[in-house]
Amino acid sequence: MKVYFFGTCLGNMAYSKALVSSIKLLQHYGAQVIYKKDQSCCGQPSFNSGYYEETRKVALANINLFDQPYPIVIPSGSCAGMMIHDYLELFKDTPHFERVQEFSSRVYDLSDFLLNHLNANLCDTGEKTTVTWHSNCHALRVSKCVEASKTLIRMLENVNLVELEREEECCGFGGTFSIKEPEISKTMVEKKIQDILSRNVEYIISGDGGCLLNISGAMKKMGCDVKPAHLYEFLAQRIGLE
Amino acid sequence: MEARELITEKLNDSQLRKNLDFAMSLLQTNRKKLLKDRYGDWEALREEGRKVKQNTLSRLPELLERFEENAKKNGIQVHWASDAKDANDIIYNLAKKNNVTKILKGKSMASEEIHFNAYLKKKGIQAIETDLGEIIIQLIDEPPVHIVVPAIHKNRYEIGEIFEKHLKVERFSEPKDLNAVARTHLRKEFQEFKMGLSGVNFAIANEGAIWLLENEGNGRMSTTVPDIHIAICGIEKIVESFDDAVILDTLLIPSATGQSITCYNNIITSPRKDGDLDGPKEVHVILLDHHRSDILSHKHYSKALSCIRCGTCMNHCPVYEKVGGHAYGATYPGPIGEVISPQIFGIDRYGYILNLCSLCGRCSEVCPVKIPLAEMIRDLRSEKAGQGSGEEILGISRIKPKMAEKLGFKIFAFLASTPWAWKSMLWGVKVFGPIGKPLAPLLPMIKQWTSCRAYPTLDASFQSQKLEGVIYE
Ligand code: SF4
Repeated sequence: MKVYFFGTCLGNMAYSKALVSSIKLLQHYGAQVIYKKDQSCCGQPSFNSGYYEETRKVALANINLFDQPYPIVIPSGSCAGMMIHDYLELFKDTPHFERVQEFSSRVYDLSDFLLNHLNANLCDTGEKTTVTWHSNCHALRVSKCVEASKTLIRMLENVNLVELEREEECCGFGGTFSIKEPEISKTMVEKKIQDILSRNVEYIISGDGGCLLNISGAMKKMGCDVKPAHLYEFLAQRIGLE
Repeated sequence: MEARELITEKLNDSQLRKNLDFAMSLLQTNRKKLLKDRYGDWEALREEGRKVKQNTLSRLPELLERFEENAKKNGIQVHWASDAKDANDIIYNLAKKNNVTKILKGKSMASEEIHFNAYLKKKGIQAIETDLGEIIIQLIDEPPVHIVVPAIHKNRYEIGEIFEKHLKVERFSEPKDLNAVARTHLRKEFQEFKMGLSGVNFAIANEGAIWLLENEGNGRMSTTVPDIHIAICGIEKIVESFDDAVILDTLLIPSATGQSITCYNNIITSPRKDGDLDGPKEVHVILLDHHRSDILSHKHYSKALSCIRCGTCMNHCPVYEKVGGHAYGATYPGPIGEVISPQIFGIDRYGYILNLCSLCGRCSEVCPVKIPLAEMIRDLRSEKAGQGSGEEILGISRIKPKMAEKLGFKIFAFLASTPWAWKSMLWGVKVFGPIGKPLAPLLPMIKQWTSCRAYPTLDASFQSQKLEGVIYE
């Protein structure tokens, strides 16, 4: 099965390894990956700030780029949510709507795609470890793929997943929010880290670069020793793809 | 105080943070537990509630008239107030006519919205609160921090101190003792009152009746003891029938406090009748518009009038929990406040509170009448950016466009839709990313980011890799 891979802007800038792992996972479970070199960003930064005209421009660039009828798979529930749901909102009552609808119907979060379309069966090769999981808000509430991500982690025999007390609470990233309201964002991420530290785990895993950048950056500054891991890098490593 | 300073002050108040953290967790847990244990199909009930409100709002003028007609038949006097001044004047004139100098008050957010206490004070009339939370904040001269639990930012030890200082009693900290203090203080006051004021939870058109909910039993003092009872009612509080009100009540209480029912349900259908031994001799309902018709006329934002003021969007908001209601500087804080405060008081004055949201979407998820709060907050941001629905929002013409922000997003859109430019940008990140660290203090965005986080590793190396088996196009 041929699939397009959309690496996201943040993935391309800061999570190269997670992108490589994502592609390896797709290939391992039988997909043939097409990488469009002209790809950029889903448009969330301008969208969340209310700049809809600019966002439409970015969205149309994506829609024109991924023009063949292949699934578009994204290693970020947040960006997937943007393309699956928010694009429809953006183009409601415009002449582009039908095309956008066709595009959006082909977008998948990687966890969801691995689990439900490639029937991935993960075979753990790693040592025993304990991890916790942070849900990205849009993955949880817009693309609704968090259960798929957690199911993949639970498939790993030697990995014990301990849930956070406030798993469903925002870590304070929120894209431009963390820049516009740095003080509130800081307080939010500190709260998240308190919760993480209380779980006594080796890893904190998240399926979204934004949250991970926020949480890991703050943990590093605070000198915490829980290791942050991107979901797909973690999964690929556990099943011996590296 | 500037909005920014206010936020900093609240974030640095560790006692406030602790209190809010504790209280919000408790409210969240109580709700969650109750819904799990007692409500088989909460989602279906939410959908019912949404429909009831949408249906009501689509026929609001007709239902308001029906309410007026039936209330009058019951002997209730109905007044229409188009703005805050109208409402305050109506109450003041009634007070003057009856030589009233003190008014007993039940909890009412509408009265906060019209700044009733301050207005009356200027005219020499005193308003005495009966709600425990309202008493506390009235003693320390603060506005409510939350629409349902107005003093939730104070813990019981602080309340004990407030009572000790202002009511000259012993210092208590047990809730039952604190309640007793408030009760004794109030009972003394109750006897002297000729006029009471309350809010309204539901105004039922078919019956011409009003329904008030409370837990303490003190609120009903303001509706039963004085000779004259005045109820302020936002026009969106109208429902058609008791059945509709029951659906909304069933959604409201679990959402608000995690109870299935309030301790007191006061349904008022008329003033004292011949032969009745007590009850007010006059009942007045003030139907308050205050820009609600403007909101109603919006195709998009009218949904915000579905709000039944349960406060659960605040209880679940990660930003509200950190800064508390006062940081918003508006009568209505939290997610619903971000949606309605700019529309009631002007987006030019309250537009900044739209930033107090990370768009996590939890409010939309918990709202019992399914108001898409997060989406509306984002849409209101687009109104501010001049790219909204095109429908008039109060004060929008007085907003100055933010040229730097606009330019920033124009550049972003250009980069993200122009492959060569994007690739050059990635190249720039790859080359300059690692050396950005020493420059961080000079670049405002990076400075904000690194104020509490380590400088990220920006290697941007993926673009230049060639992976086996991948088709590059
Ligand atoms: S918007 Fe919804 S959740 Fe918030 S107070 Fe109103 S009814 Fe409750």
